[in-house]
Amino acid sequence: MVTNLKNYTATFINWFHSETSIAPLVVFRIIFGLMMFASTLRFLLKGWVDLLFIQPTNFFHYYGLEWIKPLGEIGMYTVFALLLISSLFIAVGLFYRWATIVYFVLFTYVELIDITNYLNHYYFISLVAFLMCLLPAHRSLSMDVWRNHSLELYKTPNWTLGLLKFQLGIVYFFAGIAKLNYDWLFKAMPMSIWLQAKAHWPLVGSLFTEQWVAYSFSWIGCIFDLTIVFLLLSKKWRNPAYIVLVLFHVITGLMFPIGMFPWIMILATLIFFSPDFHQKIIIFIQSILKIEKRDVIPANSVLLQRFKKRVLLPFLALYIFVQLVIPFRYLLYPGQLFWTEQGYRFSWRVMLMEKAGTAFFYVTDPITGNRGEVDNSQFLSPTQEKMMATQPDLILQYAHIIKREVESRGLQNPIINAEVYVSLNGSRSKLFIDPEINLVIVDDSFEHKDWILEN
Amino acid sequence: MIRFIISSFVLGLFLLTSSCCPEPPVDEVDYNDLFVNMADNIIVPRYAELQTELEELEESLDLYEGTDLSLLLLQNQFKVAYHTWQKVSVFEFGPAAEYSALLRANCNTFPTNNSKIEANITSTEYNLDFPSNYEAKGFPALDYLLFHTNTTDLHNELESENRLVYLRDCITDMQDRLASVVLAWDSYRATFIGAIGNDQNSSLSLFFNQYLYDYEKLKRDKFALPAGFATAFGIPLNADVTMVEAPYSHMSLDLMITNLESLEAIYLGVGEDGVDGVGIFDKLKEYNAQSTVVEGDLAEAIKTQFVICKAEISNFENDLATEIETNIDALQNASSELQKMVPMLKNDMRSYLSVTVTLTDSDGD
Repeated sequence: MVTNLKNYTATFINWFHSETSIAPLVVFRIIFGLMMFASTLRFLLKGWVDLLFIQPTNFFHYYGLEWIKPLGEIGMYTVFALLLISSLFIAVGLFYRWATIVYFVLFTYVELIDITNYLNHYYFISLVAFLMCLLPAHRSLSMDVWRNHSLELYKTPNWTLGLLKFQLGIVYFFAGIAKLNYDWLFKAMPMSIWLQAKAHWPLVGSLFTEQWVAYSFSWIGCIFDLTIVFLLLSKKWRNPAYIVLVLFHVITGLMFPIGMFPWIMILATLIFFSPDFHQKIIIFIQSILKIEKRDVIPANSVLLQRFKKRVLLPFLALYIFVQLVIPFRYLLYPGQLFWTEQGYRFSWRVMLMEKAGTAFFYVTDPITGNRGEVDNSQFLSPTQEKMMATQPDLILQYAHIIKREVESRGLQNPIINAEVYVSLNGSRSKLFIDPEINLVIVDDSFEHKDWILEN
Repeated sequence: MIRFIISSFVLGLFLLTSSCCPEPPVDEVDYNDLFVNMADNIIVPRYAELQTELEELEESLDLYEGTDLSLLLLQNQFKVAYHTWQKVSVFEFGPAAEYSALLRANCNTFPTNNSKIEANITSTEYNLDFPSNYEAKGFPALDYLLFHTNTTDLHNELESENRLVYLRDCITDMQDRLASVVLAWDSYRATFIGAIGNDQNSSLSLFFNQYLYDYEKLKRDKFALPAGFATAFGIPLNADVTMVEAPYSHMSLDLMITNLESLEAIYLGVGEDGVDGVGIFDKLKEYNAQSTVVEGDLAEAIKTQFVICKAEISNFENDLATEIETNIDALQNASSELQKMVPMLKNDMRSYLSVTVTLTDSDGD
């Protein structure tokens, strides 16, 4: 038993450090850089920098990160300009290490400004950008190599590709696990609602109102998410699995407003294909760019010093462990996850529920007893209001925003109550939190929020 | 291998293009019948009605000759026209939302600014196109000019040519803007009916957001603000009877009822000719019939809530300003009934219709 384990560990460590072609990593770098460039450009052209970071007067922060603030108009556009430049640098592999660090830091900064902008897709990009900082993805077909030939590598350790595959894999796998819930599987909710909204589609539209179609979509989506990574890893199933993956992402891309995500995933999962395949892409790129292939056999492999080797394995083990555990932290909280959303974020719960909220906030003057309803549009953007109204931690944060605003206008120690109604997966709206509680005396924490009412 | 990948992309692209450029929908049109009914039997006839009433208002002004009767006719026609306005305020999308029209701001910014109106009349140098004059024109300005004092004094005031010109300018301003909207609807109708789906540019989304906005305006501006149930930037406000709609003609509650009735008729799909066509009510019914997960009947619940709200408002015997001063508890009850409607529209109805409210990407709620 013990020897078996030892053998496995030895085999694993052996695999971990042994080498494979660098081609998939290089192609991934180019794809990642170009997709990030396109996404950032799209974000700018849609006017979202202004809409999300300049127009709002108040921002919802992540717990403990209230010191992260937007930089104003010039600052934010500078940040986005740097994102554009660094993503291009990543694609062409110029000053790669710096470009990836700049991209990772700035992208993550932008995401942390306002929690109401949280998307699993953005979290995914942040993580991949972080991993890219560590990987030798610029050591072939890059400007860096062109500038300094001695950098060129033909091979890369297995862990470099394995890590990216793991990161892609958990997005699908955990999205699949999240779908293993009663509403999704046995009520076809919220799929029935979403499909009905597309009943105007030509040819297939009328099918979308059929219950069996909603059930099929729900189950197929769930099985797809749970199995796709394993199929992509198997040589035998890879090709058919990839066709299904393309279909899946194209269909979801058409049905839901999920932006660039489907295209990023379709291209990113190419990394599962063989080195030969990627080598052909590289030869193709070289032929277009008229890059002459050098005959010089470069020094092989990333020869890590012993110190780095020692640090690397535990570090990656920790990273992987954290990634695997975080999605399950919701188990520490009582109540239904979809209702309370305690431990909901950072867990690849993508397109899972249809939730809508209406929040009436009331301010009472403690001295006169005068009470009035807050006009949320005076403090929040429509997006912020929408996100706030269904998430208890944001409801609490908003109460504190109101307190700050009111006190700055001369009313001290206001009493702030909220009457919030939430509808989940097509159920009728219900009272969401205790309307009697004075939210300004509650402080946010990771503890269970006992003022959330039961669904 | 590369060929395989490329063929996968081609397949994807084929799917993409074949679905994003739909053929003209044939049978299984979804909201088409709803929007055809709304355009042809509700929106266009209501605009036409307002056009007629404004023409008659202009005529009544022409016919004003300093007699009590002619003043009464003028005042009554104003009341009729203001009621008709309540039926179109909700359609602030498409033509009405064009900068040249902006009907809501141009026709019904209240409370009106009396001193600005008087200053404009005295100086005769005013441009009603300026947004700074929103508060000195439209129905609220006419309400002031035609009702702010007793009959004798009104007669005296209306001897002033400047004042009559100002009245006419206010009416003409609304007529011009309305005319542009009516004209634009000739071609916008096809756009409105054709913009199917539920994304942010769809008719469903445009309409739904304005519908909700009109209701929230009714609840806040017409009721909660003057009654002292609201806040300004979080500071609780005192009751302020000068904030009511139509304070001089004392029509605030009547106008609210008309506003509610008009929203109700849209919801039910009842046309101006009284024919009950396809409304949101029918769409929700359809969903209820199809879906197994509905708790209670949302379609009926919203319908009932409209009846309750109208009854609450009708119960008041005096005008809103008087009720605010004497009957604040009853107003509080009415306010909470008005409030109950909001989550039903904003959460439940929106979820069912899957209307997109935000402009940014999402990955699920």
